[in-house]
Amino acid sequence: MKPFERAGDGGVSAGIERDEALLLQNLASQLTALLREGDGMDPAIVRLLPDAYPEDPAASAEFRRFTAGGLVERKIANADTLMVTLSDSIETGVLRLDPQQAGAWLRSLTDIRLTLASRLGIESDDQAPSSDAILQDLYDWLGFLQNSLVEAVDVSNG
Amino acid sequence: MADTIEQTRVRERAAADAPWVTIVLNDPVNLMSYVAYVFRSYFGHPPAEAERLMLQVHLTGRAVVATGPREEMERHVEAMHDFGLWATLEKADA
Repeated sequence: MKPFERAGDGGVSAGIERDEALLLQNLASQLTALLREGDGMDPAIVRLLPDAYPEDPAASAEFRRFTAGGLVERKIANADTLMVTLSDSIETGVLRLDPQQAGAWLRSLTDIRLTLASRLGIESDDQAPSSDAILQDLYDWLGFLQNSLVEAVDVSNG
Repeated sequence: MADTIEQTRVRERAAADAPWVTIVLNDPVNLMSYVAYVFRSYFGHPPAEAERLMLQVHLTGRAVVATGPREEMERHVEAMHDFGLWATLEKADA
């Protein structure tokens, strides 16, 4: 996959291989399954929907009661945007995102990276790479992808 | 000793008026570029201010990114969770 570039219409685009598109679709569908079925004790879910009041479990539960449904719905919609735009990219080899789709991508890549980091046990800034080299490579690649998208979106806005 | 209804109301009003803060905490996952982007795009901060807050989160572990009524701070925290940032709220003097 090539870094994202600013497109003429205010959006962004990037060249993408079919295998990369399928891999990203797989990750997005795993995220959706986790959001739909994951239980509240799963560390990945805890990170995706963190306590708003760390010192006050009752207030955190209340906050979650009012916000978790909408947050999960929006996170699933963002993952859906990933799936749909990737499907469109498979024939052309080019992934095109309008500004709204780019926003959904930035959020969903974050959710996927948070979930992977939780599985990899990444808990601090200066931690050694995981012994799971494949998952670690995937995590690093998603970071590259997201950084390139942030930079392309910034150029579009500026 | 039991409060009168009026005393309770006065105290509730005072509690409701006390400012709260939205705090963004450092995490090892979110990219510095993305955190600065969130502060610009959501709070509308100029690039230099977004960069300063992002670095404060990164270097000290946390930054106060907004101050105001509790309900407003809860909306900000929900928005930060939507972006995947680790955010909490607390009373301003806590």
